[in-house]
Amino acid sequence: MREQQLQSILRHMPAGIATLLGPELRYGFVNEAMQALLGGNTPEGEPLATHLSTLEADLLEVMQQVYQSGRPYVAKSYSLPLAATDDSPPTPRYFDLALEPLHDENDQTLGLLLFAVDVTAQEEARQRAHELALETRRLDARLRVLTETAPLITFTVDATGQHEYVSPQWYYFTGQPPTADVNAIWPLLIHPDDRLRVLYQSDTARANGVGWNYEYRLRRHDGQYRWVLSRALPELHAPDKPVFWHGAVTEVHDQRELAEALRRGEAELRFLADSIPQLIWTATAEGFIDYYNQHTSEYTGLSAQELGPTGWISLLEPREQAAAARRWVQCVGTGEDYEGIYQMRRHDGQYRWHIIRARQLTDTRGPRWFGACTDVDDQHRLREVLQTQYDELARTNRDLDTFVYTASHDLKQPLFNLRGLFDELRRVATFSDPEQEVLIRMVDEALGQFEGTLQDLAATVQSQRELAAPTETLDLRSVAEEVLLGLRAQVEELQAVVELHMSEAPTLTYGRANLRSVLHNLISNALKFAHPERPPHILVRSSLSETGQPQLLVQDNGLGMNLQTEPTPAFHNFERQHPRIPGAGVGLYLVQRIVDSRGGHLAVTSNVNEGTAFLVHWFE
Amino acid sequence: MSRAVRPLSDDDLKALLEQCRRDNAQHEVTGVLFYSHGNIAQLIEGDPAILEPLYEKISRDGRHSNVVQLVNKPIASRSFAEWSMAFHPLAEEGFKALEGFFLPQHAPSTPDTMSIADALIVDLVRQAVFGPSEPTEALPGPARQ
Ligand SMILES: Cc1cc2nc3c(=O)[nH]c(=O)nc-3n(C[C@H](O)[C@H](O)[C@H](O)COP(=O)(O)O)c2cc1C
Repeated sequence: MREQQLQSILRHMPAGIATLLGPELRYGFVNEAMQALLGGNTPEGEPLATHLSTLEADLLEVMQQVYQSGRPYVAKSYSLPLAATDDSPPTPRYFDLALEPLHDENDQTLGLLLFAVDVTAQEEARQRAHELALETRRLDARLRVLTETAPLITFTVDATGQHEYVSPQWYYFTGQPPTADVNAIWPLLIHPDDRLRVLYQSDTARANGVGWNYEYRLRRHDGQYRWVLSRALPELHAPDKPVFWHGAVTEVHDQRELAEALRRGEAELRFLADSIPQLIWTATAEGFIDYYNQHTSEYTGLSAQELGPTGWISLLEPREQAAAARRWVQCVGTGEDYEGIYQMRRHDGQYRWHIIRARQLTDTRGPRWFGACTDVDDQHRLREVLQTQYDELARTNRDLDTFVYTASHDLKQPLFNLRGLFDELRRVATFSDPEQEVLIRMVDEALGQFEGTLQDLAATVQSQRELAAPTETLDLRSVAEEVLLGLRAQVEELQAVVELHMSEAPTLTYGRANLRSVLHNLISNALKFAHPERPPHILVRSSLSETGQPQLLVQDNGLGMNLQTEPTPAFHNFERQHPRIPGAGVGLYLVQRIVDSRGGHLAVTSNVNEGTAFLVHWFE
Repeated sequence: MSRAVRPLSDDDLKALLEQCRRDNAQHEVTGVLFYSHGNIAQLIEGDPAILEPLYEKISRDGRHSNVVQLVNKPIASRSFAEWSMAFHPLAEEGFKALEGFFLPQHAPSTPDTMSIADALIVDLVRQAVFGPSEPTEALPGPARQ
């Protein structure tokens, strides 16, 4: 009964049990679990080797050895494929297989007791643990590579401030030997001005169980203090106590210097803008003023707040405001420069002229406007005064011209009458005094001179009006021939020879009346100053100067004159030197004026008793 | 001025128009709102006791951000008779008849009762929202001397 009970227990045990008998290892007792394990085909009395369903050959060999040696053996985590079923592929399962020799009373080996415990779950867990360990090692290695190659110092510090770990970068950066005591030395490498603050801040953070984030100067291996950023976070261990702080120290020196330089640069620019005695302002991309310099509030008597984003417009002379505002909107829309001259109200109510200029700057921060209002009131007023004076002078000049013209005109009639009366007198009266012939001739001459002067005066005024006449391309020869036609009487009387050489520069762009006047005066001048002992020979030549500018030569063989030193004499010289020849001064004065006003000049060379040559440089 | 957090749809704009027309009329708030491509600008007039909390509420409205106040100043009298909105709906048809709605090109011109400096703010804001207007009107030329 007990045997039966025992058998039943063994049969249903969750571990596999089997007896293998005899040297052939024939199946003896095989419980259900073992049967499943062996694939179900375990006919009692059959040798194991012929029904080697799932068992590997090596296991069979081990069994035989155990049988022969009588030494028990346990195969740990032995993998046995579990037979495939209809819906699952064969899966490996793991068993601890105990092989125990069975003995009879005489200690003779009867067979083997095979005991199999399924340890698949344990084995799988073990394998998972193994894989995890591998993965952990891999991650650990990666973390180390990262922490030890990244350009920053990493560290772990405990609640008392002792460094648990410092990455090698700390040694590289500080230049300390690997044997250095980090805890003792680190605080000494902090800039003295920062040390207390840093120690206090990290202490406080640790006491409060929070992280930190601060900058300080740390001494580098070369003795230079460099700005670094230290950041750390606590590692919270349940339930509440932080045990370690992990953190990193990064060098931020260059960024800080840059930011510092930027701040300084900005402050300096602002200082500069505030020191300039001009109204300086900046505006947003939309055209709203966001900065006025100090001088603006001094000039306007209004704060930036009071001025507001468009307040400048209300400072302008009210009639100018609308147009100025429209132009500003337009410039903001198109990005064109803004420029104008406006009257701007000062704090005392006085309007002063300003040039307002603004330009758009486009950079990475987007468009912005920079503007300046320059006080040009003094210049403006000066210009107004000058303009008024100029206008007055011009008017006076015109009045003078008119006066001279009218006077010369009005004098013509009495002169004409005088001449008539004198002629009449000469005709009807008889003179007995022999001197009278001379006197009569002198009166005649004086009258003629008077007439000539009046004509010249009228011509001067006339030419003054023609100075501004439009220019045209003129044929020099035909204009000269016209002039000679007018002088025909004198030419014939003096038997003068006039040669015209115009082929080198046949045309000239000039005012027609002006050219005529120049030719007339120079030629008639040459006729007037003819030498009494020879008929005049006059050469008129148009040519090009070395620089390619047109020029005109009028040369005679007349009286000539003493030019003394001046290369460009004042032409009243002629008059002084030849007081008996009428009207010379005015004619040359006219020529000079015309040529000067058109941007040229008149040159003269002369030898007494040989002749004179005038060279007109039409343009410089 | 502000930026819409995401572009406002026709329905969003319509809802805003109707709510604001109703509430602003009730509180005697007048002014104008410009909207285009996420750019928003608004001018409101009214009793400071109404405007201050209203501005607070509007600036905290989640539909827009980057709210900038350009000016805030007392005025002697209103320049706007009512509160209206100007924008480009995708489908103009549904909006034509709505009260207080304008297409940007038909938006009332800046009232000339305003000082030129204040009118300039409105004109710059209008340009910032809708972009530069083509010179369609025969404006007198720019002030160049
Ligand atoms: C750009 C913008 C402008 C607005 N303008 C107004 C306005 O003028 N009047 C108004 O009552 N609400 C305005 N609102 C809506 C308010 O922010 C708010 O949603 C509305 O007043 C409803 O508030 P309530 O829920 O407290 O009633 C505006 C919202 C936005 C996004």
